[in-house]
Amino acid sequence: MNRIFKRTRWMYALAIAFLIGLGILAFLFGTNARQWVMQPYNKHIYSSNGLVGGATVYDRNGDILVQTVNGNREYNSSSTVRKATLHVVGDAEGYISTGAQTAFASQLTGYDLVNGLYSMKEKPHDLTLTIDAGLSATAYKAVTEKGYEQGCVGVYNYKTGEVLVAMSLPTYDIEHKPNIDTSQDRWNAVYMNRFFKGRYTPGSTFKVITAASALENIDNIMDQSFTCNGAYTVVRGSQVKCNGVHGRVTFRQALNQSCNSAFAAIAAAELTNEQMTATAEEFGFNSSINVNGIECADSTFSLEDAYPIDRGWTGIGQGQTMLNPCHEITIMGAIANKTGATPTPTLIKRSVNIGTLNYVSSDVAAQLDNLLRSNVTNYYSDSKFPNLQMCGKTGTAQVSGAEPHTLFVGYSQREDLPLAIVVVLEKSGGYGLTNCIPIANTIMQDALDRYVE
Amino acid sequence: MSGPRWIPTMLLITAFQLISFAQVIFVEDGINYFAATILAIYLLIEWGWSITSSFVLRKSSPAIEFVAFFLTGIGLAVVATKGTSTLFTQFLAVALGFALYIALLWMLANVDRAEKFHVPMEIIAIGLLAIGLIFASNRNGAYNWVQIGGFSFQPSEIVKIAFIFVGAATLEKIQTTKHITRYAIFAVICIGLLFLMRDLGTALIFFFTFVVLGFMRSGDVRTILFVILAAGMAAVLVVLIKRNYVMNRFATYRHIWDTPYGNGMQQTRVLTYSVSGGLLGMGIGKGKLRNVFAAVEDLIFGVVAEEWGLIIAFIVALAYVVIFVHSVRNAKGSRSAFYSIASVAAGSLLIFQAALNIFGVTDLLPMTGVTLPFVSRGGSSTISCWGLLAFIKAADNRTWAGRKS
Repeated sequence: MNRIFKRTRWMYALAIAFLIGLGILAFLFGTNARQWVMQPYNKHIYSSNGLVGGATVYDRNGDILVQTVNGNREYNSSSTVRKATLHVVGDAEGYISTGAQTAFASQLTGYDLVNGLYSMKEKPHDLTLTIDAGLSATAYKAVTEKGYEQGCVGVYNYKTGEVLVAMSLPTYDIEHKPNIDTSQDRWNAVYMNRFFKGRYTPGSTFKVITAASALENIDNIMDQSFTCNGAYTVVRGSQVKCNGVHGRVTFRQALNQSCNSAFAAIAAAELTNEQMTATAEEFGFNSSINVNGIECADSTFSLEDAYPIDRGWTGIGQGQTMLNPCHEITIMGAIANKTGATPTPTLIKRSVNIGTLNYVSSDVAAQLDNLLRSNVTNYYSDSKFPNLQMCGKTGTAQVSGAEPHTLFVGYSQREDLPLAIVVVLEKSGGYGLTNCIPIANTIMQDALDRYVE
Repeated sequence: MSGPRWIPTMLLITAFQLISFAQVIFVEDGINYFAATILAIYLLIEWGWSITSSFVLRKSSPAIEFVAFFLTGIGLAVVATKGTSTLFTQFLAVALGFALYIALLWMLANVDRAEKFHVPMEIIAIGLLAIGLIFASNRNGAYNWVQIGGFSFQPSEIVKIAFIFVGAATLEKIQTTKHITRYAIFAVICIGLLFLMRDLGTALIFFFTFVVLGFMRSGDVRTILFVILAAGMAAVLVVLIKRNYVMNRFATYRHIWDTPYGNGMQQTRVLTYSVSGGLLGMGIGKGKLRNVFAAVEDLIFGVVAEEWGLIIAFIVALAYVVIFVHSVRNAKGSRSAFYSIASVAAGSLLIFQAALNIFGVTDLLPMTGVTLPFVSRGGSSTISCWGLLAFIKAADNRTWAGRKS
């Protein structure tokens, strides 16, 4: 009998193994709950018609972007608004991963581990976005009326971080969803919000970063002048072509006129790989921005072991560099604020603790602000942006095997209109000056009407 | 003299059950009188037994029954929301199980008397399994159900009791090669028949129980390792022969999120709905997992988690630890090796089956489709669990405090 008693002690190992298993299970429940709950088959959250519980998504002015009526998900009554906000509102099926109905599903359901989804039954957790439906519609019309089919527009308040427009093309009317074949070029990446997830060759818009690096590293850069005879030659047979023959230009004039020869010369001859990389990373390249949990595509920059000619091309935005539009708009914000810092973009109204992106010194930011303002006053002309005190930079990005993309990034200096804007038109051909600036102006004028007058 | 020390515990359990039963009885469209009647009878049984065993039979405090009452009550409340006839059948199974519990306690009171049942038990066990194999119908890939008239049962569940009884009785005798060999042959026949029925989960439970019985008797770790190794090789052989069938069942394991609409459906639903209820639950009958196939049978742990909350679900899981520890502690002070071995074997079987169920539906272990003891809906399973509980109770010396042994 005694031997049997001793053996029983070993049996406790079984209880311990069981308890360890329960511990692992508790840990998995704790760490994965949110992910497990937000499954499209979860009938507490989704019916065949999308989110249940009547959670409504509003725009910043209280307009309904999507609501549940008699068990059906109903979107904004205007087809233009529906198309313009498709990518921020998202769909019930979850094709558009950055859409509010998918990305913010846990806010909409009010899920927490203690109460589970219980509170969802009691009261709908409505969500108000920072998006302006009307301004988005204006952006959609401004771009599509000119015949552009792909690209994106972002508008961002650089004082509060609120994103007012995050319009992406191609789009569709969610109430009349067409047959979409994503292998067709016209539906290329249709479910992606290009503003948050896109990456583009920056073209001349990158000269802002090159200029920043020059201001940081070259003492007398504002006093230097450059001679442009149509190209910058590193060595015989190795040159960066310019878009014109600018003759003798100062640093400021070179930026105003977007002179490739001057900027290639600055990058190739006066800056080092390390210096340019340091400036780019200071500005947030190679790290991504998180917008209320939506991870933006990161802008990428690399000059490792690059030759001067590569640095020259990179200096004018035609190297390996890729730029994310949402990141680009925060760079404008940091300059517009003249502090080198800007609030992290947010899509949810009344977000707290949204954080700050710190890019450069206030000194450099203020000089860049001055330079970007002179781009408009000296070159694009204020008549293109009446009453806006606009600053900015255009770009044309050469892409292999297609017409170039054109871009504009900028912001208004008006205290009562602290908005930055980015316009990207894919395969548009032409120039940012002629393609993007009129569109940017239309949108900014509409914002002026809405928020100031 | 046990005294009324058990009364506060029983009051606590009753309070818990009254609160949960109320959710089932007072429903939106009125009062469910049928459920009220059945659940009231169940409460009467609980109190009736506690009072009878404590004051009339003057047995020790009914602690082990309390755990089973708690689990059974949860099972009944879940089933009550499934409809009148389902509740009635399940209640009938509980009543039968409880009757079996009392009958086994009587039979086990006298070791010599009990051991006379040894050979009949062997015959019943193999007979039932053989009948099962011949007449069984295919349910969900396993041939482990026998249909007689309008009544269906799982022979393997009832055989669990015989398996432990025979094991304890054989091994309790002086350890001779003859006895060991005889039991080994008996075990191999039982497990083999279960394999033929394709009831992998139950076969695993029998094998595990066999190993525990063997260890308790011999205490020889090397022999046990040898047995496990031999079984492992046999399992490999089975896999090689029946590759497709076995592989299909295990292919989903740790890959449930690859096929949430296919083979991973049950497990992913269990995980999603378990956390949907949070710590406090959605309310009894308010869950969505109950609409998934086999929800109140195999997946009931998830239903409890979703509707009663994760806290209650984990208390349910811990209840098996309590039963098991009880079975081991009882074994230490038992009057006879027969009781000790049977108690530990029954306790191990129950916690092992609970582990296969709870960790199976949550994808920590491969899902084998076994029930959650005392909680899952299922007549044979419920009856069997109460029968097994008798072995644990019988090993408690205080059970017989009122009589001379």
